[in-house]
Amino acid sequence: MTLTRILGAVALVAVVGASIFALFIVPADVNQGDAQRIMYVHVPSAWLAYLSFGVTALSGIAYLWRRDLRFDAVALAGAEIGVMFTAFAIWGGMMWGRPVWGVFWQWEDPRLTTTALLLALYLGYLLIRRLTEDPYRRATRAAVVGIVAAVDIPIVHFSVEWWRGLHQGPTIGSPDKVLHPSAPGLFVIALVGMVVAFTIAWSWLMVRRYQLARIEWQIEEHGRLGRISAARRAALATSPPAGEPVAGPGVEGA
Amino acid sequence: MQDLGFIVAAYGVILGGLALYAGLLLRRLAAAREASLRIRRQAESAPPAPDSRA
Amino acid sequence: MNGLRADAAVAWAIARKDARAELRGRQATVSTLFFAALVLLLFGFALGPDARRLTEAAPGLLWLAIVFGSLLSVTRLHQLEVEDGALDELARYPVERYAIYLGKLLAGFAVVLVLGGVLLPVVAILYGISLGEAWPALVVTVLLGAIGLAAVGTFYAGVTVRMAAREVMLPLLMLPVVAPLLLAAVKATTAALAGDPLGDLGAWLQLLAAFDLVMIVAGAATYGYLLEE
Repeated sequence: MTLTRILGAVALVAVVGASIFALFIVPADVNQGDAQRIMYVHVPSAWLAYLSFGVTALSGIAYLWRRDLRFDAVALAGAEIGVMFTAFAIWGGMMWGRPVWGVFWQWEDPRLTTTALLLALYLGYLLIRRLTEDPYRRATRAAVVGIVAAVDIPIVHFSVEWWRGLHQGPTIGSPDKVLHPSAPGLFVIALVGMVVAFTIAWSWLMVRRYQLARIEWQIEEHGRLGRISAARRAALATSPPAGEPVAGPGVEGA
Repeated sequence: MQDLGFIVAAYGVILGGLALYAGLLLRRLAAAREASLRIRRQAESAPPAPDSRA
Repeated sequence: MNGLRADAAVAWAIARKDARAELRGRQATVSTLFFAALVLLLFGFALGPDARRLTEAAPGLLWLAIVFGSLLSVTRLHQLEVEDGALDELARYPVERYAIYLGKLLAGFAVVLVLGGVLLPVVAILYGISLGEAWPALVVTVLLGAIGLAAVGTFYAGVTVRMAAREVMLPLLMLPVVAPLLLAAVKATTAALAGDPLGDLGAWLQLLAAFDLVMIVAGAATYGYLLEE
C-alpha cells in the first residue's frame, strides 16, 4: 500500500504542476489564443479514455481465458475510469470547440464523434454489468461485450475519418493543429507533461478502483454464502434429519 | 486571458472531477475495508455453523 | 475437413429451423415490415413536405428504418427458443458454438434482407427517387448491410436473451456498434443513387464488407461463452 500512496502523491504533484505550466507559463497560441490551453486537458483525457477501453477489453479476454475474477475487477476499473475520462474528453472538446469553431459540436471532427460513440459503448458495458447479478455470468457477459465493442472502435474511427474527408472538414482549428502549433517547443512540453501527469493519476486510480472491486466482491461473496447457508439451515430445520441434502454449495444465485 | 470562461469550465470540470472521483474512491475503499474487517471478526468469534455434519 | 462440413450442416439446419419458425409466425414478419414502413411514413411527416429535402434524406431514412426493423426481428429470433427452453437444449448438444451463431446469423440475414427489399421500393415511392441504373449497387449495399446487422444483432440478442430488461438493452448495446455500418450504408446508397460522382462507392462498400467480416469473426468467437450460462 505504501507504494500506491507514493504513486498517488506523485500523481497529485504532477497534475498540479503540469496544469500550472499549461495555464500560466506556456504562451497562448497565435491562432487559437488561450483556448488552446484546453487541449492540454482534452488530449490526455482522450488518450486515457482509449487506454482504459483497451485495458477493459484485454482484461476481458484474460478472464475468458483464465476464469480468474481478478481480471474482471481490472476490467471494471478500466470501464468506470474510462467512462469518466471519456466524458472529460467530450467536455473538453466542446469547451475548446465553442471559442475556436464557434460551435459546441462539429460532426466533421472525427475525434469528437468517435469519442461520443465510445461513451455510448462504455455506458452499455457498465449497464450490462449492473443488470447481471451472478459474478461469473457478469464477468463473462462483460468480457464478451467489451471485446465486440473494442473491435468496433477502429472501424468507427476509419468510417468517421472518411466521412469527414468528403466534406473537406475544417483544417483551421482542427485538433491536428495542436500537434503542429506555431511555437512547437513549449507547447509540446506542456502537452507531454500533462499526458504523463494524467497517466500517472490514471494508474493510481486504476489501482485503487481495482482494490475496491476486490474487497466489494469479497463482501458480496460473503453475503451470498451467508444466504446459502441460512437457506440450508432453514431447510434442515423443516425436513427430517435423515433426508437427502437439499442443495449443494454449487447453487447459483440469479 | 481570453475565453476565460471556457478554460475555467474545461479545467474546472476535468481537474475537479478527477479530485472528486479520487475522494469518493478513497472513501468507498475505507468503508469497504472496514466492512470486510467487521465480517472477519464476526466469523472468528461466531460459534461453529449448526449445519455442519460429522 | 469433415468437421467443417459437419459444422456447416449444423449452421444450415439451425438457419432453416429459425427461418421456418419466423415465416410460420408470419404475423411477426409482417408486423415488423409494417412497423418499418410506418417509420418511413412518419419521417415523411417529420421532414416534409419539401420533396427535395426528403429526396436528399432518403438514404439515411431508409437505413434508419432498416436498422430499427432489424432490432425487432433479431430479438424475436432468439426469443422463440428461450420461451421453450430450447436454447438450453441446443447449448447441450456437442456442436461447435460458432455453427450455432452462424445458423442464427443466416436466419437473421434472411429477415433483414426481406426488410431491405421491401423498404427500397417504399422509399422510392414515398421520397420520389428513381432507382433506375443504381439497382446492382443498391442490392449489394443492402446485402452487405443486412449481413452486418444480422451479425451484430444475433450477437447482442445472445447477450441479452436471458435478461429481464432485454427489450431496452438490445437496442442500447447494438445501436452504437452499428453506427459505422449505418454511416457506410447511407454513403454507399447516396453514391449509388447519384451514379457515383465522387467514385467513393467502392470505398464505402469495402468498409461495409470489413465491418461484416470483423463482426462475424468476433461474434462467432465469443458466442460460445454466452451459451454456457
